[in-house]
Amino acid sequence: MSEEFSVSRDLIRQLVEGTIDDDNTERLLKLPRKDKDRFLNYIAVLQERVPWDDRILLRLGDKLYVVSKGAGRRETQCECGHSFGDYRENWKLKCRIRVRDTLERMAEVYDPAPAVPEAGWQEIREFFCPGCATQHAVEVVAPGYPVVFELLPDLDRFYRDYLGQPLADEAGDWYEDRSAQVTAHWKQAG
Amino acid sequence: MATIAREAVPHDPARREQRQPTLREMIAERDRLTAETGHYYGVTELSLRDSDPIRYERFYSKLHAAVLAARESARFVAASPGSREMGECLWGIATPEGDTLAVSLGFLSHTVIFPTSIRYMADNDYDVNDGIEDGDVYAVSDGLTGGVPHPGDFYSFVPICIDGEIVAWAIGINHLMENGAPVAGSWATFSVDTFMDGLVCPPMRTGRKLKQESWWKAIWERRTRAATMNILDDKMRLAGCAMILKATHELIDEFGIEYYKRAIREVIEESRRMVVDNMRATLVPGTYNGCAFRLVKYEGLQNVWSHANKNTLIHVRGSVEPNENGLLLDAEGSSRWGYHSYNATPGGVDCAVFLGMINSFSHNTKVTAGIDLAVQRNYPKGSIYNPDNEYTSNANLWAQTVALNSIGFGAVNRAMFARGYLEEVFTVDGNWGAFQGAGTTADGTNYGFTNFEWLGGTGRGAWCYKDGEPLVWAAWSQMATIGDAEEFESTVPPLFYLGRKLLPGYFGYGRYRGGPGNSAVHWCVQPGRHVALTRPNGGLSCTPSVGIGMSGAYPGPGSFMISARGTNLDDLIAEGETPRDARELLAQVEAGALKVKNLEIWKTDCPELALKDNDLFVDAAGSSGGWGDPLERDPRLVIADLDSGICPDYEFVSNMHGVVAHRHDDGHWELDEDATRAKRALLREARLEESMPVENWWLAERARVERRDFAPEVNEMYAQSLSFAKFRTEFTRFWQLPGDFSFGEAEV
Repeated sequence: MSEEFSVSRDLIRQLVEGTIDDDNTERLLKLPRKDKDRFLNYIAVLQERVPWDDRILLRLGDKLYVVSKGAGRRETQCECGHSFGDYRENWKLKCRIRVRDTLERMAEVYDPAPAVPEAGWQEIREFFCPGCATQHAVEVVAPGYPVVFELLPDLDRFYRDYLGQPLADEAGDWYEDRSAQVTAHWKQAG
Repeated sequence: MATIAREAVPHDPARREQRQPTLREMIAERDRLTAETGHYYGVTELSLRDSDPIRYERFYSKLHAAVLAARESARFVAASPGSREMGECLWGIATPEGDTLAVSLGFLSHTVIFPTSIRYMADNDYDVNDGIEDGDVYAVSDGLTGGVPHPGDFYSFVPICIDGEIVAWAIGINHLMENGAPVAGSWATFSVDTFMDGLVCPPMRTGRKLKQESWWKAIWERRTRAATMNILDDKMRLAGCAMILKATHELIDEFGIEYYKRAIREVIEESRRMVVDNMRATLVPGTYNGCAFRLVKYEGLQNVWSHANKNTLIHVRGSVEPNENGLLLDAEGSSRWGYHSYNATPGGVDCAVFLGMINSFSHNTKVTAGIDLAVQRNYPKGSIYNPDNEYTSNANLWAQTVALNSIGFGAVNRAMFARGYLEEVFTVDGNWGAFQGAGTTADGTNYGFTNFEWLGGTGRGAWCYKDGEPLVWAAWSQMATIGDAEEFESTVPPLFYLGRKLLPGYFGYGRYRGGPGNSAVHWCVQPGRHVALTRPNGGLSCTPSVGIGMSGAYPGPGSFMISARGTNLDDLIAEGETPRDARELLAQVEAGALKVKNLEIWKTDCPELALKDNDLFVDAAGSSGGWGDPLERDPRLVIADLDSGICPDYEFVSNMHGVVAHRHDDGHWELDEDATRAKRALLREARLEESMPVENWWLAERARVERRDFAPEVNEMYAQSLSFAKFRTEFTRFWQLPGDFSFGEAEV
């Protein structure tokens, strides 16, 4: 099979917006292999939708992106434009958090009653964008659990080795979890 | 049986006289060649495929057809309902070293345990003393020596030999209806160690020339509670293996032994390359983290075994890192093993984590051991996934290992989302359910049982572009089907279905909701002398089955069950209004229509529940998680859910999604767009008002961590997980604690 497939940007837009119909979804699911240019088309579609000009490097969530700010800055950013700072720091640390740690508060988001998690062993953490209040993440974890860094991408390797389009600001320290620097600063300040 | 192993007529008398390599030598050679070259068995060129692809593919088609035919015939020769009607069985063919060459439909990740069993037989000289011959039959159900996930899953291994040399193994697997543990059923929920796990067989020869020895039947009859079903299943597995053995001999006759020996190495290497290529084509390199929790409430229930009489909060921790050779799945940080039934062995964990891996990366290639090489695993010694004690119980490992699969499978979905292949992307949960038990009819006949129905089909988590569907999915099988109610009614004589349906509102909420889970009401009628049951679910633990929601949505709710013993059901039957699911039962109790002397809601494992006439047993399982911020849900979808009844509580969804609607007299709902807009704005304001910067939360929470101000189970969980360096580093760095901060790890 040497032929290459391509999926139109319009169809990708429908996927992003949730308007794609079942026939087209099935067609995409049944492609013998994936279209190689999907990522670049996807980024182009996403770039049209956001109200800012920063270059999208990766999409992490429905409204959450890693963007290039130029001059060697790569940051996690909400669709509303709020920046969570350096993408190597867990973006959740720059959110606002609401914790549901009683049965009553947990029952507001779980139903029916016997399916509600038990306080004491579990708590529900909701992470909001300080700018637009979008709920970007939910954790249902034990109290005291470190906030989970869901994905730290290795962007240089992705762009260079997977896409064959190295980023201009490649450097040896981009794939490095720096979340502890944030908490160290908090400890110092607190 | 129609097929009998052929007499040992040598293909080549001279070859017959040669000393054949031992299994141990063959495995060492496989390991050496693979390690030295980075290619399976040292195959760097696919010479057979490239020189004559048609012949090569014809060869593989025949191999594949043999295992497909085995399944589609054997389960109709003889089988219990779980195997005949549902996906709870599988056949495969493997290399002499146990590396999978082809598998049938069914629960396909079980193929990854084959090498564990074969390595054990090799290391213990089974082929030297007293020999392995064509058509021998080996039984395997042990986790440590056989790699079997739990002894409820039973394996038959049949060697295929040419001129005295093992050239392949035919293997059949199915989930038994009952496996003879103190807790009746097939997942012994209260096992403390392996001696309470039921019929546990390290690889052992039970038959010759495709015929079981007579004593083997006595084992099923004397050591399990469902002998008839289990003997049927035993015949089923062997019948399928006999078909594979016959087909393999014919294949070798046609293609020649030398072609066969080269081709089986090439198909594995070919698929390894495809899997690695698929990973590279669909993933984004990086580190993906996930977690899950399972509460084990044994305290007060294990008085006989005092060392097990405690609660345990199991921590499931997983990370995924794509690399040049595939990806690494690392479970470091997960809990240590314990005196409970939820431990696994490396083979068993493989069975779980390969569910998602095979589905994601072997879909367009031959399903072989190639993927074993592409998925590197780290299960630290001493952890719940690799106990440093050979007597641990693994009877109910699925109840938590499925969460590790969900973490790995979820990482794949996160990667595909980032990569733009949105059509593939959905929320992975693994909230399964089942019940099991034993009884004695009025005439003294004993029976044991497992009802697999909520294992057969669960809700699929929300896609990133639409709602999840009900029932269509099962992480552990491509054959999503919950089976016929009548099959289970005939299997458990006194239990009848009053209801069997989707449970409204029972899913994770988000911009898109998960597929709803299921609920059934079982009615006990004339139980004879005795009937009692337990329940081994995943998610039956006061927790969702996964700990991290997708893109702002809530993970699917956990499973639960209700026992209603001592009821006025006759009154309700007379009025024609009996409950059909958990919600209806609770509503009828609250309304006073259903009177219950002993109503118990179980959010964790229940002890054995004995049932009498008109007692009810109600379950709920199979829910799945949502995707995206609930306030982003299209209000029209909320209205549709209210109209269909899948969302039964207006106040709940109104506050969840910020939607205002009015109900017409005809029952239909109408959206109030202006009020909805205003409510959403208010809820967003409330989010900001009721929340605080994570920094403020961290400062307060850190003080709590320093005080170790948590429930004893939580403190013990941290003590266990911090005994592994990786999680210790993460934990102490996150909370900015000294490196020697301790929850008492030294005592773990």
